[in-house]
Amino acid sequence: MTQNSFRPSRRTVLAGVGAAALGAGTIGLPQFAMAQDLKGGTLRVGLPFDMTNYDPMQFSTVNFFMIKNLYDSLIEYDENGEAMPSLATEWTVADDNKSVTVKLRDDVKFHSGNAFDADSVVATLEKATDPERGKNVFSTMSIVKDWSAGDAHTITINFNEPVPTKQILDLLQFLLPIDKAGIDTVETVPAGTGPFMLDNRKVGQSITLKRNPDYWRADQPILDGIDFTVFSEDAATASALESGSIDLIYGGSSRTAVRLRDAGYQVLQGPGKLVQVFRINSTRGPFQNKKFRQAFNHLMNRPAILKIGYAGLGEGTALPWAPASPAFDPSYDANYAYDVDKAKALLAESGLSPEEMTDWKLLVYGSEQGVVAISQIVQSSLEEAGLKIELDVREGAEFIDALLSGDFAATFGGVGNVQKFPSRVATNSIYRTVDNPVFGNPHPHPAYVEAIKQVDTSFGADVQPAYDNLNAVLVDEAFAIPTNSYETGLIVADPKLGGFTLDIDNLLVGRTIGFK
Amino acid sequence: MKYLHVILSTLHALLRQTGAALGLGFLALIVLVAVFADLLPLDPLGQDFIRSLEGPSRDYWFGTDELGRDILSRVVFGARTSLVTAAGAVVIAALIGVPMGLIGGFFGGWRDAALMRMVDVMMALPAILFAMTLIAVFGRSQGAALLAVGITGIPGFARIVRAQVMSLRKRDFVIAVEAFGGSAGYNMFRTILPNSLSQILVQVVVLSSVAILLEAALAFLGVGVPPPTPSWGEMLRTGKTYLHEAPYYAVLPGIVLTLTILAFDSIGRGLSRLIENPGETAMQGTLK
Repeated sequence: MTQNSFRPSRRTVLAGVGAAALGAGTIGLPQFAMAQDLKGGTLRVGLPFDMTNYDPMQFSTVNFFMIKNLYDSLIEYDENGEAMPSLATEWTVADDNKSVTVKLRDDVKFHSGNAFDADSVVATLEKATDPERGKNVFSTMSIVKDWSAGDAHTITINFNEPVPTKQILDLLQFLLPIDKAGIDTVETVPAGTGPFMLDNRKVGQSITLKRNPDYWRADQPILDGIDFTVFSEDAATASALESGSIDLIYGGSSRTAVRLRDAGYQVLQGPGKLVQVFRINSTRGPFQNKKFRQAFNHLMNRPAILKIGYAGLGEGTALPWAPASPAFDPSYDANYAYDVDKAKALLAESGLSPEEMTDWKLLVYGSEQGVVAISQIVQSSLEEAGLKIELDVREGAEFIDALLSGDFAATFGGVGNVQKFPSRVATNSIYRTVDNPVFGNPHPHPAYVEAIKQVDTSFGADVQPAYDNLNAVLVDEAFAIPTNSYETGLIVADPKLGGFTLDIDNLLVGRTIGFK
Repeated sequence: MKYLHVILSTLHALLRQTGAALGLGFLALIVLVAVFADLLPLDPLGQDFIRSLEGPSRDYWFGTDELGRDILSRVVFGARTSLVTAAGAVVIAALIGVPMGLIGGFFGGWRDAALMRMVDVMMALPAILFAMTLIAVFGRSQGAALLAVGITGIPGFARIVRAQVMSLRKRDFVIAVEAFGGSAGYNMFRTILPNSLSQILVQVVVLSSVAILLEAALAFLGVGVPPPTPSWGEMLRTGKTYLHEAPYYAVLPGIVLTLTILAFDSIGRGLSRLIENPGETAMQGTLK
C-alpha cells in the first residue's frame, strides 16, 4: 500500500513557494522574494487571447490563465513532478493498484459558500466520465471503473485494471472539483474553490478577479485582485508591459520574451512545455512507406527550427517528452539528429520513385508565423535531400479542421501532456491509439498501440523497459517526428513582482504572486 | 500602327512632365530588375540560419529575414509577383470591361441596361472580400489573386469606356463612317476605340496601382501567394512580427511598395493632365 499523507502548515506552504520560486526554469532572475516579503495590490496581466469558458475541464491553453485562479485540483505537482497535497490531504493507492482512496480537506468552501466535500468530487467525476461534458478530462477517465464516497471527506476511486501509481496521480492532479450546485452552468459561471473569484468580464476585452476572502490556504492569495486585459497582438502586449500599463504578460511569444528578458524583465519557463511534432498521415501516398517516413527522423534541422521558430527557448528533441517525463531519453537526440545523407539513404531504400516521393504538400498553419518559418526550414531540408514539395498554407479554422480530421499528408502541430505519465501522450490526436482522427480504426501501427498498452500495464522492474520499448517504437514507426519542446503559458513579468509558483502544466498560479 | 502612334506620343508627352517622368523612370527600373532578376547575382530562397535578421550590410544591402534570406533579393523577385499580378489583372479587366463598355455605350437600350446592371452587381462587391472568397474557393495561388483582382477591375473599364463611347457616338466623324457604310463593329473598334485609348490608358495605370496594393493586402492578410515565393505583402506581414528586432525587414519592402504606387499615381496624374490639356500631345483627336 502506497500512502502519502501531508497536512501543510502555513510554514510549509510558504517554504514550498520559496522553493518553487528558486527552482529551475527561471532565467534572468536575480532572486525571488519570499512570500512573507510580498505585498498585495492588483496585478495587471496582458493576454494575447481571450478564454473560452469557465469549465476547468475545458483544458485548453487559452484557459490556462484562469483555471488555477478560480479552481484547485485534488493534488498538485511541483515543477519536478513530485505530488503535493491540495484539496486532497492524503491519498492511498491499493496494493493491487486497482483503487485509490483520497482524504479531502474539511475546511474548504466553494465561492458560492457551499462546503467542499465528497459529493462535489462525485459530481465532478460524473461530469468527467460523460463524453459530452467531460471534455479534455474524459479520455483520462478511461481507466476509471467506478467510485464510492466513504464519508463526507473520503472517496475511493476504482480502476478497470491495475494502474501505475504515476498515472493515478496524473488523474488526481487533473481533477479540479466543481461545486455540485453550479456544475450545470459552469461554462458561464465559475464554481470553484480557488483563491480568486470572478468580479467582472467583458468578452474579448477583459476579465477581473477579486480575492476569495474565505480561501483555505493561510495567507493566500497575496494579491487583492487580478485584472486581465486581452490584447490579441503580441507586440501590443509587449508595448503595454514596457510602458507600465501592465505588470505581467502571460502566454506571449518566445521571441518577445527573449527581447524583454534582455531588457531586464523576468522570464519564467515552467515545466509544462509542449513538443512540436511533424505529424505524418501514414495512410496517404508515400507516407505509407516506412523507410520513407523514417527518413524524416533525419530531415528535421532541430537547432534551426528551435532558433528561428522559438527564439531558442526550449530544447531540440527526437521524442515527444519534456525533461520531467519518466520516459525522457536524450540519447535519441544524437542518434536521430539532422543528417541529410542518412535521410537520402533511407529515401533510396524506400524504393519509391522521385514522383511518388514528392506527390504531397506540407500543410502549414499560416496564422502562426513561427510555424510558417519552420515549415520553410523543412521545405529547404527536403529540397537538399532531393524532394521538392509545396506548402499548403491555411488560416484559422480551415487549418484546425484539416488538422483534427486528419485531412493532410504532413503538418506541424504541438502536443501536450509530455511531462506526465508517458501514455498520456495518447491524449493528443496524432498519438491516439483508438479513434485516431488521422488514422481511423484499426490503428495502422499496432506496434505503437501495443507499446502504449505495455506502458499502462507495467509495474516494478518492467516499467523502464516498457518506456524504452515505447521510445524505440516511436522512432521506428515514425508517424510523428518531434522536433523541439517549446513554451506555453510563458510568463514575462516586471521585476517588481515575486512569489511565482511554476505549475506542472504552466498554468498561471496567482495565489502566491505579490509585489516586492 | 495607329495605337502605337498614340502610345508613343503619349509617352513622349509624359516624359516632359517631371513627376510623370520620375514615375516612369522608377517603374522602368522595377520592371527591368523584375524581368532580368534571374541574370542578377540574387538568391531569394537561400537560407542562412547563422545570419538571420542581420541589418543592412555590404553583403546584404537590405539585411536578412528570419531565415537568413537576402531581403533585397526577395524585394526584387517580389516585384515579379506584384507586376505579374498587376499585368494579368489589367488584361483580364480590360478584355472583359472594354467590350462591355463599347457595346453598352454604342448600342444603348436593353443591351446597355443589361450590361450596366451586371457592372452594378460587380461594383457592389467589396474588392478585397470578393478576392478572399475566390481564394477560398480556388486556394492560395498567384492565379487566384490575379483573377480576383482582374474581375474586380472590370467595372472600372466598362464604365469609363461606356461614358467615352456615348460622348463620341454622335460626333461627326463617327456618323460619317456610318454614312459611308461602316459596320457597327468597324465603328466601335476602328473609330471609337482608338479615340478612347487615353481614358483606357489612365484606367490601366489606376488599376495597376490598385492591383499591386490589393495583391499586397491579400498577402498581408495571409491569403496571397504561398511561401516561399517572395511577395511584398508577405514581407510586410512577416516583417511586422520582427518590427522591434529588425525594423528594416518591413520598412524597406514597404518603401519600395510605396514608391511603386507613387510611380503609378504620378503617371496617372500625368495622363489626366494630358487629357485635360489636349494641346500638350497628339493623343486627343489623333484619328480625327
